[in-house]
Amino acid sequence: MHLAVENVEKGYADKRVLKNVSFGVDAHEFICILGHSGCGKSTLLNLVAGFLQPDRGSVTVNGIPVKGPSKSRGVVFQDHALFPWYNVLDNIAFGPSVQGKSKAEAREIARKYLKLVGLEEYADSYPDQLSGGMKQRVGIARALASEPDLLLMDEPFGALDILTREMMQKELLRIWLELKISILFITHSVSEAVYLADRILVMKDGYVAETFRVTMDRPRDIAHPEYAELVRRIQKILTDDQGEGIHD
Amino acid sequence: MTRPASSAAPQGAAIAEGGKAAVRRPFRWKDRMGLVPIAVFLLVWEIVSTLNESYEYFNPIFLPAPSDVVKEMWYLGQTGLITESIAASTVRILLGFLIGLVSAIAVGVLMNKYARVEYWLSPILNLLGPIPALALLPIFIIWFGIGEVPKVLLIAWTTFVPVLTNTLDGLKSVNPTLIRSALSLGAKERHIFFKVVFPSAIPSIFVGAQVSLGLGFSSLIVSEMMGAKSGLGYIIVDARNYFKMSNMFVAIVLIGLEFSLFSYLLKLLERRLVNWRQNGVRNAVEK
Repeated sequence: MHLAVENVEKGYADKRVLKNVSFGVDAHEFICILGHSGCGKSTLLNLVAGFLQPDRGSVTVNGIPVKGPSKSRGVVFQDHALFPWYNVLDNIAFGPSVQGKSKAEAREIARKYLKLVGLEEYADSYPDQLSGGMKQRVGIARALASEPDLLLMDEPFGALDILTREMMQKELLRIWLELKISILFITHSVSEAVYLADRILVMKDGYVAETFRVTMDRPRDIAHPEYAELVRRIQKILTDDQGEGIHD
Repeated sequence: MTRPASSAAPQGAAIAEGGKAAVRRPFRWKDRMGLVPIAVFLLVWEIVSTLNESYEYFNPIFLPAPSDVVKEMWYLGQTGLITESIAASTVRILLGFLIGLVSAIAVGVLMNKYARVEYWLSPILNLLGPIPALALLPIFIIWFGIGEVPKVLLIAWTTFVPVLTNTLDGLKSVNPTLIRSALSLGAKERHIFFKVVFPSAIPSIFVGAQVSLGLGFSSLIVSEMMGAKSGLGYIIVDARNYFKMSNMFVAIVLIGLEFSLFSYLLKLLERRLVNWRQNGVRNAVEK
């Protein structure tokens, strides 16, 4: 799997949200896109997911242009977007089921992924009965049940409290190592990006302002000097108003 | 991580869990749909009527006591009139309500799917919709005669309008993120409709159905009061012609009971189909 975003531009009405964005994602890579709200990072994810089409430039997977949503690119939404009328198991079985698996097969697959996220006991619960963190686990399991090559995550832990958030980050790394998929993860938390990513794309005002490669071993220690230094450098870019020249 | 809200939401959760044994709560009068106020109401009525019979503040025939109504009901029951009338009315309301419901949902789905259908139907329905259905009854009788057809059609039309409005409302208010998530899981157009759009419209459809049931009952009774030879509405007209007040009360009570029964059955169906919903004041604050 290789995702290539090349010279992509996207605008709504007279506002250009993305201005010439290029980057690539390789197999089993964990990429974080970091930026303030309104910097275009969600638009970028929606383009990769196939919900939107670029005005200029191209989004390709293995050389084939992205024409619409596909089960090979799973999406985890910030507001989890679970189907409230299905219980947890049937939410996860949704993908396999619409892809033509029988009900029993789909549920079998769903059980496997429910186990992966550690929620076997809640198979029969409805989304409204779960806590925020549990809903997001179900959201992740549902996206994974279609066995995507690339998982797109749009600020998935943004609405969670700090303790749940840290636990979910660890869980996500475990799942990522186990399944060997690629992840494109959007966040506005610098620390979260440094904790998770192989590569961090810092976005500013519709550009990729700078790219950082993170080589520290996982699990990463927040107290480590290298960690703190990286967080500091990224924060400087994000808060630096004179930094317009960086993207060139 | 917090535990699921199953213990915090007794009603919804008990239904949602289905198989698991629901905890039986001790019998409490206040849970029994306000039986006490109803009993007190009937008692006061009984007392007023009985006193009136001895003191004649007004003509006792005007207000028969509940016990007289029950006696009358028993007597009419013996003649078979009650069973016959209930059967006739039930067939009409069921047929009319179902025709109205199904066609409203079908038209709503078509209007939601095809902009052209909506373009042509929407203004016409907005024009006809607000006309009280009862105003149409004489026209329906002239067009379709005094048989079952105008009655069933009138009930169907009264059902149609609120259900259609609410169906459209529900179909249009589906959360677009849910559609996106279904698409990213490989759903085709038919999956989107049957597994995402339609389920999210079901609560709205039930809102429309409840409103329609009330309106449908008025249509039923009025259409039976004009040009019918059977039914609960007919008992009222017939009783008026012979000045049999207690018969009128019998019919009124039966209408009330039948409506309550239908409304309850509809709520039961709603609870079964929309058991995933956990909102409202009851779930906001535990008392």
